[in-house]
Amino acid sequence: MPDLIGFCELVLVKATPLIFAALAGVLCERSGILNIALEGALAAGAFAAVAASYETGSPLLGAVAGVLAGVLVCGTLGVAATRFRVDQIVAGTGLNVLAIGGAAFGIVVMSGTPGVTPEVHAFGPSGEAVLVILAMCCALGLHFALYRTPWGLHLRACGENPEAVVSAGLDPRRIRVVATLIAGVLAGLGGIFLSLGELDIYSDGMTAGRGFIALAAVIFGRWTPLGACAAAIAFGALSALQFVLQRAGVPSELLQALPYVVALAALTGIFGKSRAPAADGVVF
Amino acid sequence: MNLRRAAIFAAVLGALAAGAMLLAGANPIAGFAALARGALGGERQISETLVQTTALLFPSLAVAFAFRAGLFNIGAEGQLIAGGLLAGLVGAAFVAPGWIAIPVVLAAGAIGGGLWGGVAGVLRARFGGNEVIATLMLNVIAALLANYLVVGPLHAPDVAGPETAELPASSWLPVLLPHTRLTIAFVFALALAGFLRYVFARTVFGYELRAAGEAPHAAARAGIDLRRTALLAMTLSGAIAGFGGATLVAGVLHRFNVELSPGYGFIAIAVALVGGLDPLWIVLAAFAFGILQSGSLTMQALAHVPKDVVSVVEGLAILGLSARRFARRSPDAA
Amino acid sequence: MALAAASLELRGIVKHYPALTALRGVDLTLLPGEIHALCGENGAGKSTLARIAAGKVQATEGTVAASGPVGLVHQHFELVDRLRVWENVVLGREPRRGGRIDVAAARERVRDLSRRYGLAVDPDAVVETLPVGIAQRVEILRELSKEPSVLVLDEPTAVLAATEIETLFATLHALAARGAAILVITHKLQEVIGHADRVTVIRGGLIVSTGPTSETSLGAIARAMVGGDVPPLSARAATVPGPAFVAANVSAGAGAHALRDASFEVRGGEIIGIAGVEGNGQAALCDAIAGILAYDGEMRLGERALPPDPAGRLAAGLRVIPQDRRREALVVAWSVVENVALGDHARTPLRRGWNVDRGARDAAARRVVERFDVRTPSIRTSVDSLSGGNQQKIVVGRALACEPKFLVAYQPTRGVDIGAAALLQSRLIEARNAGAAVLLVSFELDEILELSDRVLVMYRGKVAGEFERASFDRAHIGALMAGGA
Repeated sequence: MPDLIGFCELVLVKATPLIFAALAGVLCERSGILNIALEGALAAGAFAAVAASYETGSPLLGAVAGVLAGVLVCGTLGVAATRFRVDQIVAGTGLNVLAIGGAAFGIVVMSGTPGVTPEVHAFGPSGEAVLVILAMCCALGLHFALYRTPWGLHLRACGENPEAVVSAGLDPRRIRVVATLIAGVLAGLGGIFLSLGELDIYSDGMTAGRGFIALAAVIFGRWTPLGACAAAIAFGALSALQFVLQRAGVPSELLQALPYVVALAALTGIFGKSRAPAADGVVF
Repeated sequence: MNLRRAAIFAAVLGALAAGAMLLAGANPIAGFAALARGALGGERQISETLVQTTALLFPSLAVAFAFRAGLFNIGAEGQLIAGGLLAGLVGAAFVAPGWIAIPVVLAAGAIGGGLWGGVAGVLRARFGGNEVIATLMLNVIAALLANYLVVGPLHAPDVAGPETAELPASSWLPVLLPHTRLTIAFVFALALAGFLRYVFARTVFGYELRAAGEAPHAAARAGIDLRRTALLAMTLSGAIAGFGGATLVAGVLHRFNVELSPGYGFIAIAVALVGGLDPLWIVLAAFAFGILQSGSLTMQALAHVPKDVVSVVEGLAILGLSARRFARRSPDAA
Repeated sequence: MALAAASLELRGIVKHYPALTALRGVDLTLLPGEIHALCGENGAGKSTLARIAAGKVQATEGTVAASGPVGLVHQHFELVDRLRVWENVVLGREPRRGGRIDVAAARERVRDLSRRYGLAVDPDAVVETLPVGIAQRVEILRELSKEPSVLVLDEPTAVLAATEIETLFATLHALAARGAAILVITHKLQEVIGHADRVTVIRGGLIVSTGPTSETSLGAIARAMVGGDVPPLSARAATVPGPAFVAANVSAGAGAHALRDASFEVRGGEIIGIAGVEGNGQAALCDAIAGILAYDGEMRLGERALPPDPAGRLAAGLRVIPQDRRREALVVAWSVVENVALGDHARTPLRRGWNVDRGARDAAARRVVERFDVRTPSIRTSVDSLSGGNQQKIVVGRALACEPKFLVAYQPTRGVDIGAAALLQSRLIEARNAGAAVLLVSFELDEILELSDRVLVMYRGKVAGEFERASFDRAHIGALMAGGA
């Protein structure tokens, strides 16, 4: 067996941004916000991290900037959905276009030429490992928080019946905004991993639909943190498989398409049906 | 359409765009001037703006069509590519007089796009699968499929770049204005807008689509087959986008390559929303966005404003419009 | 008797909404230990007042003063269906241990409340699986855990069977005896006379009468609610029995509210009333007849089997008035014309080839508006801006316009003011007189007894009993509705 350890490493590397994004998705949807702007949040986090690292020379500050960028994107969706009661799908689409376009714009501002930023100080293998472990811890932590703490109970109630939450004397809008802010942190971490962990640049289109795969992972994982994490790892494995099979002569595009095709198949319910939170995406 | 609100909205967007330009170290006034000059500064510029308008109009009408039926078709980009791909393949495969070849190529585009939309339609109608996720996935699959086919099996034998063979000249769309890229596709697009407006206002089919989109439970009890409606709406929506892709292949590029669309299918969502899902207003919105698209290159060349500022404006437009309730009133409402 | 300090005092309450003014200056005082009934038609302002009293909604003007917490039990429960009983009851006030929820303490709290107030529930049950009467208990327990000095209940008996109603009022009397003030919003005047100490009538956002129930009567309360006398209904003509709608061994749906092996017949020229508490299979029956719920068994109209799909059934002369007009009958953003056309839109005369026939549609809409006295500025007005009563008139008018062979009316007068309700009931009788077979489902026993030629009682998805008009026995019917014999 050529390099099982190496393959497992590759799987984790491919899976980590998906895990972060999927956890962000679970958090949002469980609170009742349908967040299709994960792609934009990843891109924003990835770009901001590179930009900050470029300006300051410190990947750590880059990480901070990346997290803030993720919070900005997801938080905007949260505020728009609760305070302005917008259509969440449309707003999410807008944020995606805005974030990815903004990042492309930012590349030119940074380096004068479009497409790719210059190389910056990145994390290196140790930083990567930290993020991978952090992703797993976040999955476990989110599971505990969602199912064992009062905060988690309130959040789950928000996603099912916000009226009941009001009856209990709580504010569902505040709970949802907080959920999106935390989701933003997670998505930002995912973005940081992409640009400063795996590589040391940001390139236009780098996120390559990972935010959408994360949505599929949320559905696969039945809107639970551990389920979504497992689904994200499965998708990461598909991605890693690409490299192995590519050497066997299978065209790379076909392999790249595999996660998306699997996600399509999941929509047929072939992998089992599950129910979204009842108030998911419903304007309150 | 509240004009005062629209004007304020446009002004805010303009201000944000100006801010972005300053950030890029450019002069906003010079930027806007270059944009205007690049889009409308002469016959050639206006024709190019209309080319962009046409390219946007087809997917925008497709998106609006699906939205009104209650389906979020975020996949116009993929359907456009699928249609363009099939049109490029079919077009390059035979030579025939224009009055045969052109309809065949355009039909191929509609079929390709229709199939792509149809997949999402089946997933929704038969399995209840969320069409937002389906169309998002299909976008990526379409792009990957196109990449693969034009670099690999369907690569034009004597060309360096990743593209199909060129269409024979008899298959090219007739040009409206000599020495420009403006073809009869523009006329087709306008006609389509008018036709869709008629469909929604006057036909039983349009009435049923609107009912399915506005009040699915009431529609089902009124005898409307929701699954059939969803499938038809997604397929027709995809077909319209694919037809648009075919006009790009037969009219602008005269071949299929991966540079076919700079994201028309996504910008189309903004256009459809700005147009309030009404085909006639969408024509105007497509023109406005066409100005942005065609002027942006000049803006980049002359005023050194990165053309991505246009994407930023589009994203802000979509975000800003998400607050609008597109409660679709009756066409002849009081 | 010395008056104790009030438990709840509302003074000068005004509530403006963008489209209408719900309350125009209301004063209401609740005393500790009393059960106070608040009566009024739909749209009179009762629910708004209740929500203001409970602090869920802010009044535009006026003051609310309560001697302690105010609990509110909603008509449509505000429970989280997918969570457990204990999770619903302690939501917002969870007992904690460290950062986590102390689940054992939460369960114990539920059991303790159950014991204290005599409302038994299983703390670990998932609310979704509970029958309606038990789910209501969960909501009541949740409010009681706040130790309220005032408990407001909005139409609490709408979903309960007779025995459950008795249990509920026993609980309320016990609570009142402990010093709480109870405000019951209801339009069931029998219950008001039977259980309330005082009754207040609200009409058009203003209080029109208030006083002890011992000093008033059912008729007086009804007159105060309407502001006059209720118009009489159309006369019942003698009819010749026509072709029948036959249901044979029909089962549909699943779970607690399923229809199980129901068999009955409705002949042309008669109204069959289905008496029963909500949730005993009536909804499944109507949805199965409408063609949107799959079922086992056979349904026939005359000699012919019913077509399988809704469109076919509409074409065969079957019409169903559904229970939720905003969701299941109307497209609220559309005009009156387009709504009247819905259902017949695909058939001539409302269509001409591919297109709609605008002239025919306009004429059809005008006929409905005329015959059903729909108050609307024009037939092109959006239905959204009409009152609930006028919306319902459009729904019923549309169903009767084609002179259906078989009409199913599910709560046809729900949420409709008394005048409009009388008009709709008259039109139903007229349809019956003209030979239509009418199946009436209503949770107002009075309405059923008033309109029906025969009454079928449904309990747990089956037909539990049948009564002819000449021998309606209220007590027996009530017993069957509750599962007795």
